[in-house]
Amino acid sequence: MSIIEVENLAKQYPLPDNKSETFFAVDGVSLQIEKGEIFGILGPNGAGKTTTLEMLEGLVDIDDGKAVIDGINVQTDPFKVKEMIGVQLQANEYFDNLSLVELLDLFGALYNRVINPEDLLGKVHLVEKAKAKPANLSGGQKQRFSIACALVNEPKVLFLDEPTTGLDPQAKRNLWDLVLELNDAGMTIVLTTHNMEEAESLCNRIAIMDHGKIVAQDTPQSLIMKHAPEPPEAPLHGNIEDVFLALTGHALRD
Amino acid sequence: MISKLQIHLAKDFLKIFLRDRQSIFFSLFFPVIFMTVFGFMSNGEQDPIRIGIVNQSNSVAASDFVEELIESPVFDVTAGLEERLREELEAGELTMVLVLPEVFSGTNVGTELRLLVDAAQVQQLGFIVPLLEQTLIDIEREFRDTEPMFTLAIEDVQARSQSYLDFLLPGLMAFTLMQLSIAGSGFNIVEFRRKGILKRLFVTPIQPKDFIASIVLARMSIVLIQLSVLMAFAVFVLDVNIIGNIASFYLVVILGTFIFLNLGFCLGSIAKTQQAVMAVGNIVIFPQIFLSGVFYPIESMPALIQPIAYVLPLSFVSTGMRDIANEGASLLAIVPSLIGITVWLVIGFVLATRLFVWKEVAN
Repeated sequence: MSIIEVENLAKQYPLPDNKSETFFAVDGVSLQIEKGEIFGILGPNGAGKTTTLEMLEGLVDIDDGKAVIDGINVQTDPFKVKEMIGVQLQANEYFDNLSLVELLDLFGALYNRVINPEDLLGKVHLVEKAKAKPANLSGGQKQRFSIACALVNEPKVLFLDEPTTGLDPQAKRNLWDLVLELNDAGMTIVLTTHNMEEAESLCNRIAIMDHGKIVAQDTPQSLIMKHAPEPPEAPLHGNIEDVFLALTGHALRD
Repeated sequence: MISKLQIHLAKDFLKIFLRDRQSIFFSLFFPVIFMTVFGFMSNGEQDPIRIGIVNQSNSVAASDFVEELIESPVFDVTAGLEERLREELEAGELTMVLVLPEVFSGTNVGTELRLLVDAAQVQQLGFIVPLLEQTLIDIEREFRDTEPMFTLAIEDVQARSQSYLDFLLPGLMAFTLMQLSIAGSGFNIVEFRRKGILKRLFVTPIQPKDFIASIVLARMSIVLIQLSVLMAFAVFVLDVNIIGNIASFYLVVILGTFIFLNLGFCLGSIAKTQQAVMAVGNIVIFPQIFLSGVFYPIESMPALIQPIAYVLPLSFVSTGMRDIANEGASLLAIVPSLIGITVWLVIGFVLATRLFVWKEVAN
């Protein structure tokens, strides 16, 4: 059963160097994301990954197409959608001078809930930092704290925008474990990433985006079978990075 | 009307402010220092004018004259020889030297006294010469035994002793409330946006009205606390007088805070970067510091500027506060100020609701 259904989603923005013309940041994206899966969206910079997520989260107006999350239309009922999704944005700064516990309490209040901050901090292994300020956390701790904030409303769907960008290998693996734990408990997780290993080992299915369009969408295994360039004499080999480069080319992006 | 969420968020904003020792310090520092400095300047009596006297006469009239000058609190008299006193005058130790001629008596008419001054000090001359002349006239009357035709009987009714500090306090408080309000809504919003906090709030179910209400609640408390601290300092430490009704006074404070919170929300919505909001903020704040009668009355400004000065929002607020504090005006008596405040409230509110679009501000 699909928990997220996206049909022909489109978003136009004015061109950065010529404001009178527009371009499609997202151009007819359709996705079916199943309940309980980890779904990865890959793509070079500027492919439209973040814009797609932000349309699903209600941050950016949908110009064309339709997005439904758990039966609720994002355009007509944005506040109902916000109630049941958890969001981690790329920027993860918070109010200065409030401790992690105070911030989690605040997020709870935003959902009209009284929460147990220690429980949430336990989930993301930050109990000992309860009294710390976000400014004093390391990169990995900040990302885990962002996820804790995204969990205050026990969301059905968790959106993670490049959760491991900039993390060291230990922090990265630690975060993958956290994502898997949450997923084991039944949470649907949608994430964007530049990390091919992450897509391959963490995601049940992935979509590869380029120039605002989805160029492929399947399980990592079948994508490798279909798209990885296969030298004639070798048996099955290759990885998602090969698939990614085969589909989006080697040209440098911004 | 005020929801639990609004109170929760307002408390957090208050905590954020109270934990930011630096901004508390600086928002109080300027007005406190300002008042203290002016307090000392206006408290002390004017320094006596140091005057040298060369008495070349040995008449009774001359010594009477010198005696009177010595007794006068206005002068600090040094008697001596002309040569020495002239040196002291040149060295800047004396403001002037008065030379009484050898012939100095009540019987002579047209005795000329010489006054040696240093050009650098002559700005005091306009004040001193009439005093000297008055002393001379008194002595002359004594000699001629005539009674003055007119005397002034000065009666101090002690209704209120208006000092510059009394005048300054309401103006400084109005200025402080403007600063705190604009910083609270305008500057903070831009900072929250820069950090991506507004975006993060936007993906939760919070309604923009909840966000705005909590900022207003928090800032209103901050303004009331800071102004009360300032006022307590002024009244108890510097002996400043507030004679009007405190409740009316605070009503004007609250209305004024609303005006500048609205204007702050406008600034925060227009300006996208910290630098931009500072620049635009200064355009709003700076002219009002000088034109809104904070430090000196608007009536004393050039006539050309006055019409503009009178309609600035801070002018209405500071005038209203001052009329209550200094003259004990009732709310009815400050209706013109209240009308001006209301007009600015409406302008600010309409602009703020137009400009503050939650989705655009957050992104």
